[in-house]
Amino acid sequence: MERQGREARMTRRRSTSTRRKGARSVVLSRVIWIVWTVVTGSSIAGWIIPGMPLVGPLIQQVLGNKTVNEILSDERVNKVIDLAPDEAWQGKLGFLKKKLREHQAAVHATSGAGYQVPTVPGAQVPTYPGATSAARVAKSAQTIRIASYNIEVFGTTKMGKPWVVETLAQVVRHFDIVAIQEIRTQDDQLMPTFLAVVNADGSRYDYVIGPRVGRTISTEQYAFVYDTQRIEVDRSSVASMSDPADMLHREPLVARFRTRSSGAGLPFSFWLVNIHTDPDEVASEVDVLAGVFQVMQAARADEDDVILLGDLNANEHQLGLLGQLPGITWVVSGITTNTRKTKTYDNILFNRFATSEFTGRWGVVDVQSVFRLTMDQALEVSDHFPVWAEFHVYESAPMQHTAQLPGYFFQ
Amino acid sequence: MSDVTVLARQLQDKQASVRAQAAERLGRCGDAACVAVELVRACGDEEEVVREWAVAALEELGPPPASSLEPLCSLAAAAQELVAYWAVTLLGRAGPEAFAAAPALVSVLETSPHPAVRQRAAWALGRIRDQSAATIAALERVKSSGDPRLARLAAESLDNDRTASDFHSRTHACG
Repeated sequence: MERQGREARMTRRRSTSTRRKGARSVVLSRVIWIVWTVVTGSSIAGWIIPGMPLVGPLIQQVLGNKTVNEILSDERVNKVIDLAPDEAWQGKLGFLKKKLREHQAAVHATSGAGYQVPTVPGAQVPTYPGATSAARVAKSAQTIRIASYNIEVFGTTKMGKPWVVETLAQVVRHFDIVAIQEIRTQDDQLMPTFLAVVNADGSRYDYVIGPRVGRTISTEQYAFVYDTQRIEVDRSSVASMSDPADMLHREPLVARFRTRSSGAGLPFSFWLVNIHTDPDEVASEVDVLAGVFQVMQAARADEDDVILLGDLNANEHQLGLLGQLPGITWVVSGITTNTRKTKTYDNILFNRFATSEFTGRWGVVDVQSVFRLTMDQALEVSDHFPVWAEFHVYESAPMQHTAQLPGYFFQ
Repeated sequence: MSDVTVLARQLQDKQASVRAQAAERLGRCGDAACVAVELVRACGDEEEVVREWAVAALEELGPPPASSLEPLCSLAAAAQELVAYWAVTLLGRAGPEAFAAAPALVSVLETSPHPAVRQRAAWALGRIRDQSAATIAALERVKSSGDPRLARLAAESLDNDRTASDFHSRTHACG
């Protein structure tokens, strides 16, 4: 009798537990579906077109510019996660987290706030230079954004297309520094002419440019374009790295920059190392870049921040010895950076312990979506998208190197 | 006739602007492997802009089709540096498929006046994994070259050849 009673109680408990689990599963399904729909569905429009009636403001209000980490650390989202009744649901939530992270990358890719659409062929062509002068870009006083942009064959052809130049200028104005690869022209007036377009809206950008590098008569130049109101460069530091053993097709251009900030903190200073690898020798060149990175880390006793950025022709799994340096990390992961959206070529790397100024925000600018271009028009701008990362304007104390962490920020 | 083929023909147009536009569009089309030979020839164009877009297109290209290997062998001996450089590069990208190009590449390795072309030939010989005595002897000779990059690439190609040789030996042993 006692045994039968115990079994009956256990059966009731199981039954109650099953009912509760069933009810929680239904609730959980709905909550996940709502979160997923809000975050990935209607919010795409909300993010891309903040002025869209109802949906845009609503999504902006709910999510603002939150990163995935912020969304996932949101108490409300964690409560949903706590509802998981069993491993199966935890698996589903894990999938949701993964999708959120992928979507965050897509959000970075499609965020177009602040951009204006230049006139493209087929409509009225603007008077050169910079007829569609965009409103000045509002930048945070607390952070800077550093970008890398391979502007495929940046030369006379592109400068002859005003809408392409205006598009490139608008991209530049959204960043404090842009490391440019693939300037291919013998015309030394290209960059001054381009800067005139960038500054046509009252901006005050300047640039430093490297020598023509390459092994054949087809050479390239690197450049850094920077906002002089927020950044200063140590011109004596600008140099093309020496490569006596000829290990790299295009020797990196290095320069040391510092933020201009009026606050009490120390301005954030850092080396930038601009690189475009040879697509036929990627494996050996990324190994050599590991040495380049270490050389730059030791270049000045008073500078611990080295940021290597450019067109590596390698994704996050193809970084060789560069990707194995102690503490090294990279921002672009799990998202393509070419205009055709088939490959990850471009990245920004630094030591996560030394460069703790990184805010965790990064992105790839989907030029095609932002400027509402056709694929062919987007390819006329470049076959690459710009990639960027955000840093605090003040120096932070280096983080304690306690463990070898994964090289991803969204893990 | 496909768009790519039409553009390839336009690369030989008398007007520089037409050639430049064709090269640019080929650079953007993403599937120009079938006109690899025409693009390599365009690297010898007198107009800088044509050359630069041809190079941009070639950088994106994968291995060339088998039908282009023979003309590429001829272009590898071209006097114009950029033409020879890209012909050699594409032969290297073809890998063991371009096995028959080994004698032409050895000739380039030993006679080209352009260091970058000789270096690429050393690299390409490693990619096609030719183990003939002539290739190995040529690579051994330049391994002691005063050009550090040429010497390094030759050494790497010899290593590749040895690896390929070991692999073939094991394959035969297993067979």
